[in-house]
Amino acid sequence: MLWAVVASLLVAVPGLTIAYLLARREFFGKKVLSTFTTLPLVLPPTAVGYLLLRLFADDGWLGRERLGFDLDIILSWKAVVIACSIMSFPIFVRTARVAFEEVNPRLERMGRTLGMGRQKVFLSITLPLASRGLIAATLLGFTRALGEFGATIILAGNIPGRTQTLASALFSAQQSGNETLANQLLGVALLVGFIAVYTTERLASKRSLRKEQTG
Amino acid sequence: MKGVKTIFNISLKARFGSLKLDLEYKGSKRVLGVFGVSGAGKTTFLECLAGLRKVMSGQITVAGEIWLDTETSCFVPTEKRHIGFVPQDHLLFPHKNVLGNLEAGKARALQSGRDFQSILKKVVAVLELEPLLDRSIDQLSGGERQRVSLGRALCSGPQLLLLDEPLASLDLRMRRKIFPFLIRIKEAFELPIVVVSHNPTELQVLCDDVLILENGRNVMTGSPNELFASDSLFNVAKERGFENVFSGTIIEKSDQVDCLSLSEENGNICIQIPPTDSLLGDRVLVSIGFENVLVGLERPRGLSARNCLSATISRVENAGTRWLVHALVVDAVPEFVVEVTYDAIEALHLESGLRIYLVFKTSSVTTLNG
Repeated sequence: MLWAVVASLLVAVPGLTIAYLLARREFFGKKVLSTFTTLPLVLPPTAVGYLLLRLFADDGWLGRERLGFDLDIILSWKAVVIACSIMSFPIFVRTARVAFEEVNPRLERMGRTLGMGRQKVFLSITLPLASRGLIAATLLGFTRALGEFGATIILAGNIPGRTQTLASALFSAQQSGNETLANQLLGVALLVGFIAVYTTERLASKRSLRKEQTG
Repeated sequence: MKGVKTIFNISLKARFGSLKLDLEYKGSKRVLGVFGVSGAGKTTFLECLAGLRKVMSGQITVAGEIWLDTETSCFVPTEKRHIGFVPQDHLLFPHKNVLGNLEAGKARALQSGRDFQSILKKVVAVLELEPLLDRSIDQLSGGERQRVSLGRALCSGPQLLLLDEPLASLDLRMRRKIFPFLIRIKEAFELPIVVVSHNPTELQVLCDDVLILENGRNVMTGSPNELFASDSLFNVAKERGFENVFSGTIIEKSDQVDCLSLSEENGNICIQIPPTDSLLGDRVLVSIGFENVLVGLERPRGLSARNCLSATISRVENAGTRWLVHALVVDAVPEFVVEVTYDAIEALHLESGLRIYLVFKTSSVTTLNG
């Protein structure tokens, strides 16, 4: 679960930037960027895992031979974080993009007429107004990272105490017939998933209420 | 014009979708009105002034500051133009309370060396916002929101106030309540103002000069009374509520009527108006429909109408299908405009210089504020 938290935090900054650009700016290659960020959502997770494995393999683009030093990713905790981040990235970006798109751009323009530069408009108008949607994006990204299995198992393996995630631990417990552990892990997964999705639902209903009130 | 400082020097050429904006205006009047049908480019013009839209070529100079000059590639961005913008739908920040909204432009007010606390105090007093300061936006009525929106723009210490149909989103009752605040703003803040409206009465009261937009071009410029009574505009303006508008002081009150002094010079010109909530000594704006005034060659007797003013015809003119008699009561009071038929002009030989009597009922006078 710790890796899922780290992955969610790691996704936040580039995810926010890309979501904001996709929501607010028109630029060359926007559709290509949007497609690339969504790709991990539609590809089989094992395909993403294999792609990452090729990338970080000794002869890969980010491998030892090309870089001249070893990033020491494969089968390490770093591999778990990377796999979880890549897999949760699309859902975070898509939800955050909708959150930014829901902010009335005319409110941002009002900010500019009041003397606010673009940065201040973003920090004092866009971000607070999109905050509920962004929290929802983080929670959904977190649950996606928590449930990650396919890509992680290929890039990071399933080493207890090192690269084992909730999903892979549950898989191992079930495979080895340890029903008690499997049930406990299932309980944790259900509880965390329920809390995250329920919170997201609540935030979404508050958001639509606010939209109605402010036109 | 020597010695009179030019406030607005604007020339714009731009195309936005099907709208081609092509206009020029140069003027030294502090409050400029913009009138036109929807789609004429009124809001687009305002957005160009605010720097929210880029234009192909043009120049904008306001009170000596150059904001746009495409020849020298000068473009001052919106946030550096020192404007206050009030849209028709208030656009208050929903995540801030009223005070938070008023303080949204605090940084700019401070940057331009203003004492923010004294501006805030003045704005709160002029717009009567004190009881609202702690409220959230969703607790405000439409009229209160528009007052806060006006206040937010003023608190940022603007050098130019842009009002985009500030009363259009309000119902008639609310419009009457908020309109006096616009008059107060005009009087209390010595600011250049550009106000877009489709209501001639609002422009008549607020503006010194009006620009008529048609398909993105300024087809006419002049004083509101002169323009709206012209033959090409009179019918449109009248449909939208163009009437005689006067301001005066309440000098007598009773249960049945109030007495309004239009001018204390030349022997107190007073009219009776329906009772108002205003107090003795208050300034009140009233309007009288052109068709509600009768013209007599002699002072009438035995009539129920309580108002009879002696006046001199300054001109008789044709406005589209109608005939208008312009008559001056005294120099200090704006001209009365009376709509008559051509038959009446012929029968009474109405012509410039003729002494006449203007007669109207107390109930035909509408109070615009108070």
